[in-house]
Amino acid sequence: MKLRFVIGTLLVSALLAQAQVSGDNLLRSQQDDESWLMYGRNYSAWRHSPLKEIDTGNVHGIVPVWIFQSGVLGKLQTTPLVRDGVMYVTGPSNHAWALDLKTGRELWHYSEPVPGDLAYCCGQPNRGVAILENRLYKVNMQATLVALDTRTGEVIWEVESADYRKGYSNTVAPLIVGDKVVIGIAGAEFGTRDFIDAYDAKTGERVWRFWTVPGPGEPGNETWGGDSWKRGGASTWITGSYDPELNLIYWGTGNPGPDLDGSPRPGDNLYSDSMVALDADTGELRWYFQFTPHDVHDWDSVADPVLIDMEVDGQPRKALVQANRNGHFYALDRQSGEFLFARAYTEVNWADGIGPDGRPILIPGREPTDEGTLTCPGMGGGHNWHATTYSPQTGLYYFNSGDGCQIYHGATQEYVEGEYYLGSAMENVTGEPREGSIIAVDPSTGDRRWRFPLVSPPSSGLLSTGGGLLFAGTPEGYFMALDAATGKPLWHLQTGGPVRAPAISYRFAGRQYVASAAGTSIFVFALPQ
Amino acid sequence: MRWGILCLLAACAAAAAGQELQSSPYHGDPVSIGVGKATFRLRCSACHGIHADGGQGPALNRGEFAAGDTDLAIYQVIANGVPGTEMPAFGRRSTEENIWRIVAFLRTFAPGDDEPLQGDAERGAAVFWDQAGCGGCHRVGQRGGLFGPALTRIGRARSVAYLRDALLEPAKDLPPDYFVVSVETADGRTVRGIGLGYDDFSAQLMDSTGRVRSYHRGEVESMEREFTTLMPDTYGDSLTTEQQEDLLAYMQSLRGEGGAP
Repeated sequence: MKLRFVIGTLLVSALLAQAQVSGDNLLRSQQDDESWLMYGRNYSAWRHSPLKEIDTGNVHGIVPVWIFQSGVLGKLQTTPLVRDGVMYVTGPSNHAWALDLKTGRELWHYSEPVPGDLAYCCGQPNRGVAILENRLYKVNMQATLVALDTRTGEVIWEVESADYRKGYSNTVAPLIVGDKVVIGIAGAEFGTRDFIDAYDAKTGERVWRFWTVPGPGEPGNETWGGDSWKRGGASTWITGSYDPELNLIYWGTGNPGPDLDGSPRPGDNLYSDSMVALDADTGELRWYFQFTPHDVHDWDSVADPVLIDMEVDGQPRKALVQANRNGHFYALDRQSGEFLFARAYTEVNWADGIGPDGRPILIPGREPTDEGTLTCPGMGGGHNWHATTYSPQTGLYYFNSGDGCQIYHGATQEYVEGEYYLGSAMENVTGEPREGSIIAVDPSTGDRRWRFPLVSPPSSGLLSTGGGLLFAGTPEGYFMALDAATGKPLWHLQTGGPVRAPAISYRFAGRQYVASAAGTSIFVFALPQ
Repeated sequence: MRWGILCLLAACAAAAAGQELQSSPYHGDPVSIGVGKATFRLRCSACHGIHADGGQGPALNRGEFAAGDTDLAIYQVIANGVPGTEMPAFGRRSTEENIWRIVAFLRTFAPGDDEPLQGDAERGAAVFWDQAGCGGCHRVGQRGGLFGPALTRIGRARSVAYLRDALLEPAKDLPPDYFVVSVETADGRTVRGIGLGYDDFSAQLMDSTGRVRSYHRGEVESMEREFTTLMPDTYGDSLTTEQQEDLLAYMQSLRGEGGAP
């Protein structure tokens, strides 16, 4: 028994001893078929695996290789990381695991209790870890950032980024840039004032903070009436991207607070619902673009900022694209922040398009009222936060969309620290439930190439592969593969639980695998041997 | 196992702590009531309606509550849920203070807002089971059909006004999970029934005989989901006003007692 334990420990140690990841590994992550090293797979957030063993002709034959049942209830939204024979996944409510890539067996399990008095809006999910050297970085619900030893799951350091008692919480997957760990924060539904932080990867010391709601004396503070900036929200709960050449970090920001009542916060409310470009060394703002000034519909703009070099109107551009929750697909110049174009991708009735200055052309009478206002898209968008993918193989950009309308109710509400600060809520239209779709667009024009309809608003993110495939999931529990060129469904499996995460792909021992969370489990698929 | 015991102890401790108060400390405090209203709209309105006027869950704007009319009873229902129903426990998802704020908000609705009953429940039972044949589709307890929604506790769940609309204009409002599935089979038949499931690759329905049928999209000509009801909209003509009022009185008397769930 003792001997078996010693041998087992040695084997696990040998397996985990390999998990060294350098900054250079991260810069070249797109070329590393055997790993998945960051949330968006590469710094451009493409989420595209070049692997092509599984392709449009054989995907119908893939089978489960192993299933890891986490045993933790809640929303499993993790993007697993893969390195040197180990998969690192996070679960809801402050859990993380290292799994043997060969068998799915648990190598270690980290967990930390969630404080009973923690307030949060939308479950307790977590979207994954970041990795550098022998450390994993993970946020916890109570707005802390923790560094774990990749070999043991033991805590190396933990720092508090904000006081959860004021309404802060955290779910974001961190981003490693150089020797820093960059994270966002959540809390706008509780009237917090939010930020983007960078921490020293070795020590956990905070290096810089960018407030997404500027304080007095800072540019942009004048866009908040009175002292409303103190409760301005603008959360940053989805991972940004990074351009090493420009040394700029791109990060989307969320709704102003309160969500649906604009009366306490007259003005444009910078930098809510914006894309901000920050100097990676200092966190200083280089440019911003606000998608929805003075938002009253909860049009968070946190979705993946995807970096693509492409021609727009005949001009080569270093572009940034985002499928925004407000119903429009945007392309920006990522060097300058210049607005290039925007196209509606779903039914929109609150704006008559986007003007040449990038501002929505508002249609009067679409603001929430106490009795309710029918507005499209409904709450959540449009494309919400779910991971998107760009395939350099097809040249197409893929995202999902919630389609349909809801009735938005507004009401003026006093602020109480740590309590909901929403300005009311929405309801469904009787007999007209919202549906969804997976959409492929030409990112250089916004032209739609295909649309795969879904019976429900989508829940999962997307993965594209060199085999010409697009992997997606549904809230009803299907994990499926579509032809990335046409949208034709090629394979699906009922997993028995909602698919709320994006899939990943990697090669292990010469064989391609596709992995995805579903329900409370991780499913791993491959072609039969 | 140990973890489960710990969770149970934690839940009991939280519930016990909330029960130190017997009534909401936020009555008459407009700020707290506003927070309670906002929290209600976020957490509760999907089932109980944006104006607390009911939907999938009971109406809560009537000034009376199925589980008891004291502040403490309302608190306990929110914190601990109602076993055997769709009402979950929010004790671990909301602070005690916020639950008391919701209680204060719900207490702003005065009792007696609902319209008085005009009919006779005993005569209404005869209308339900014999004259109108409602029991052919709906069940009360273990008696009745499976095709329509169970009405065992409907008197707790819906106002008189809501039930009148449901009787005379059945398509006016539908439970969120209620839909009809129509399938055209490969051999040209049309099968229609109450939807049990509908997704991107399959559909399941119960036909009028109570049989469950399941179809893959690839094996049928077409399938579609309709947000309508199969309940006839003719009761305004086929029942007298007195019969309608008696029927409403009977439905209001259905409160889940007598061993029904």
